Amino acid sequence: MDQNSKPKSVLDSLGEEIVRIITPVSICMLLVVILISVLNNDSDSSGPSFTSIATYAYTENSSDSNWDKLKGALLNALVFVVVVTAVTFLLVLLFYFRCTKFLKYYMGFSSFLVLGFMGGEISLFLIGKFRVPIDCVTFGLSLFNFTVVGVLAVFMSKTAIVVTQGYLVVIGVFVAYWFALLPEWTTWVLLVAMALYDLAAVLLPGGPLRLLVELAISRDEDIPALVYEARPVVNPDSVPRGAVVQRRVWRERRENDDGSDDNLDSRSNLNSTVNSSLESSSGLERLGDENARNGVDVVDGQVSRADSELAAPLIQHRINVRMNLQEGGSSDDFALEGIGLGSSGAIKLGLGDFIFYSVLVARAAMYDFMTVYACYLAIVAGLGITLMLLAFYQKALPALPVSVLLGVLFYLLTRLLLETFVVQCSMNLLMF
Amino acid sequence: MEATPSDQTHNTAAAANHSSVAAISMSAANTNHRNPLRVDWPTIDGPLGLTEQDSVDHARRFFKFGFLFLPWLWAVNCFYFWPVLRRPGSNSDPELRRYVVGSSIGFMVFTVVLSTWALTFSIGGELLFGHAWDKLVMYNVAEKYGLTGLI
Repeated sequence: MDQNSKPKSVLDSLGEEIVRIITPVSICMLLVVILISVLNNDSDSSGPSFTSIATYAYTENSSDSNWDKLKGALLNALVFVVVVTAVTFLLVLLFYFRCTKFLKYYMGFSSFLVLGFMGGEISLFLIGKFRVPIDCVTFGLSLFNFTVVGVLAVFMSKTAIVVTQGYLVVIGVFVAYWFALLPEWTTWVLLVAMALYDLAAVLLPGGPLRLLVELAISRDEDIPALVYEARPVVNPDSVPRGAVVQRRVWRERRENDDGSDDNLDSRSNLNSTVNSSLESSSGLERLGDENARNGVDVVDGQVSRADSELAAPLIQHRINVRMNLQEGGSSDDFALEGIGLGSSGAIKLGLGDFIFYSVLVARAAMYDFMTVYACYLAIVAGLGITLMLLAFYQKALPALPVSVLLGVLFYLLTRLLLETFVVQCSMNLLMF
Repeated sequence: MEATPSDQTHNTAAAANHSSVAAISMSAANTNHRNPLRVDWPTIDGPLGLTEQDSVDHARRFFKFGFLFLPWLWAVNCFYFWPVLRRPGSNSDPELRRYVVGSSIGFMVFTVVLSTWALTFSIGGELLFGHAWDKLVMYNVAEKYGLTGLI
């Protein structure tokens, strides 16, 4: 096989990768939009009257003036960002003291809460709305099953990839639905605040996420985090020995932690923060590790020792040149020229990104479907831009800012400008 | 390609199961002693899934856990080891196959029982149950105990 031939087409593998990450994001957004439009048609921006960490400073009242609402929303967002920063630093601290077990258990516990309680409540809403004649025994049993298997899927990484991915998307849907129930102004200001926080936390030298990432690199460890990992694109053309060698690069793939904390809204005292921190589907990484350790042995039969040793320092250098999306690692493998063909590793996206994208679209859905389409396009475009920047800069990048800021911009433009235009045109039978 | 001892290749090939291509080319006498020409991955994820040894432990653990009223766990187990179910007998570990088949039987039995009950409940309705139906149906239970207001 030709050692230097490129894979079928870079566009094929790259396009496939991008599709594999955009699909779950789209599914998550679709599900949340459906839930919102089914359940919340009557109440729109009034929202439920629960207090949560995100409405701590100010509870929105529809009779307040716009300026008051804006001030209140800013206060809320500030409180939220402060809490998130504090918890992220706590996470860094815990990771620094190697309390990985504790983090993993916490992740399992919070997924249990999300799937069990939030999922249960959402299903109860649906059952109540559609008057589904299900009895409590069946319901309880199904919920119990669903929750336990979900916790297992997220907690240990040995379940089927599809199952793990599905459960992560479902967790994202539930949390996003709850976030979308916050008051309107608070939601929008919160989104913008989180986007800016993301930018700061990942790019500034003192940012908690950056510290976490650097800790993980220096220790050569995996961060426990709730990240969605797309299935890697396996290149069928790759030379066997090249394939073996480049699989070792996967070991260097660091998952960037999802440091964003999504707070559970709780009427009771559930102030726990879903600080997503369990690496799901890390079966990949684990195998990569084993492979790396056995790398030399495995390759022994195939490649000469000299080659493998040569490859190793190359890989070492690559460690620092990781590509990561904030709140989740996006790891693209690099083509090891001369040794084999490039095959990309899997792209990873943190669950916080899923959640905030879906919250944005859900909020747009509460207004009208036109804004949904506009915001969806904006978010996907933002995600594409982020991935391109990733390939360009090859370092940890936050995934929220571009998409969220574009999304908010498009929402405002659509709501304020496009809508009047389209409505007038339709009423006069001019267009659409 | 040098001939390496089959055991060692078996282990290392199993460990390097990222790339099926690599495994195939590397496996002169490979992971599956009965079928020297193909690599048979026991899981649905193929090279990204578990190795044969881990699979048995995994299947056993899920099978036993499923007895705690977790038919969905059995279903996930069967789904994960679908290739084992599809392959008739000879190619896979008999112990593994036993657990997977056990899981599938358990899942089917449980599902039949549960769906019988659920369908009887929903179709029979008030006619069959009288006013016990109202006490059992979920939306009334939720209202009675205020379950929708927990979080």
